[in-house]
Amino acid sequence: MSTENEAAAARAQWGRLIRSIATHQDRSAFAALFQHFAPRIKTFMQRSGSSEARAEELAQETMLVVWRKALLFDPASATAAAWVFTIARNLRIDDYRRGHRGGGVVEITDIAIEFQVDESPQPDARLASSQTEARVQTALAALSDEQKRVVELSFFEEKAHAEIATILEIPLGTVKSRLRLAMGRLRNLLGELS
Amino acid sequence: MSIEHHPDDSMLAAFAAGTLDHGQHIAIATHLVSCPQCRAFMHAMEHVGGAVLSRLSPAPMSSNALKQAEARLNETPLLAAIPAAATVSGTEVSALPEFVRRYRFGRWTWIAPSVHIRPILLTQTSDTRVFLLKSGPGTKMLQHSHTGIEMTCVLTGAFSHDGGHYGPGDFDLGDETVDHQPVVDAGLECICLVAMQGELCLNGLIGRLMQPFVRL
Repeated sequence: MSTENEAAAARAQWGRLIRSIATHQDRSAFAALFQHFAPRIKTFMQRSGSSEARAEELAQETMLVVWRKALLFDPASATAAAWVFTIARNLRIDDYRRGHRGGGVVEITDIAIEFQVDESPQPDARLASSQTEARVQTALAALSDEQKRVVELSFFEEKAHAEIATILEIPLGTVKSRLRLAMGRLRNLLGELS
Repeated sequence: MSIEHHPDDSMLAAFAAGTLDHGQHIAIATHLVSCPQCRAFMHAMEHVGGAVLSRLSPAPMSSNALKQAEARLNETPLLAAIPAAATVSGTEVSALPEFVRRYRFGRWTWIAPSVHIRPILLTQTSDTRVFLLKSGPGTKMLQHSHTGIEMTCVLTGAFSHDGGHYGPGDFDLGDETVDHQPVVDAGLECICLVAMQGELCLNGLIGRLMQPFVRL
């Protein structure tokens, strides 16, 4: 239990660092976030098909957007890792659509707009981010290693699915059906979210 | 308003992961706007994305990576809000996500008795064509099957087929294995957003005669 608490405390720490950028443009907070997240974003981009050089640029750009959007970070609706993930995801989509145009200025085009689906008339009754986070962590811990791997897979392109099918020597269809099963299990473990 | 038909979990996950193609992204987003349950699951999947990101093994960055990033901070002012995007384009349909209303729309075009389509013009290339489909009350749609995946989200009105009854917000998925003939409810015009991969195959004699004229 105490290790779980420590892990939760560590996760909360990243959120405080982002707030610290927002409130007083804290460069040491930026450096700490960069050291933690940039190398993982680079892996994320490489696994999504970017070259090593491009993945490094995209990791840099993601961190600059973290800085630039720090004031927009709302700890009540997303945890730091989830928020950084969405920024990396949006830059990956942007990069894909531009057909891997070379690096350059950080533009806020902004793919984020295409994920704004909460503006409906009904109030959004979703759980607070901390509760969602706790459930997600518990649910992930309850998945088998194989299921975890399959869920992880769903965050990468179709190409990654085909590669896994090759590595595991199973048909692509089996990868997809395992994905559906793992996702169903995850959905059950998450329970009612709103 | 209760929504009965939802996209399956792996599609919501793919939406959150950002791996759907542009047209399918729009179809799922359209459902999400009116479905708080799916929105909650999608946001939970974004948290899973955060967990996945945190668990990835770090790739070494070049030795001066942090220095380079820090050097750019001075020219990177903090944003107070996401800049408001360009003007909202012309469609009268309010159940669409706001970002979709900003796209350019083609004209309504007649494709069959009481059936019109209006393409949404994507600036990015997509394997999927997206259009609004408007059918008059009681219209029997042409029996059809697909060569790819077809996502439909009801905006106004309702229709039925073998799979059940579909009202506002409901989401329907068709693929190669589905061959159905939707019928629009009596008394109400039905408008759907459709994201369609591949070709639509019209079955039956009239359908085959019309096929050459229906360029969706």
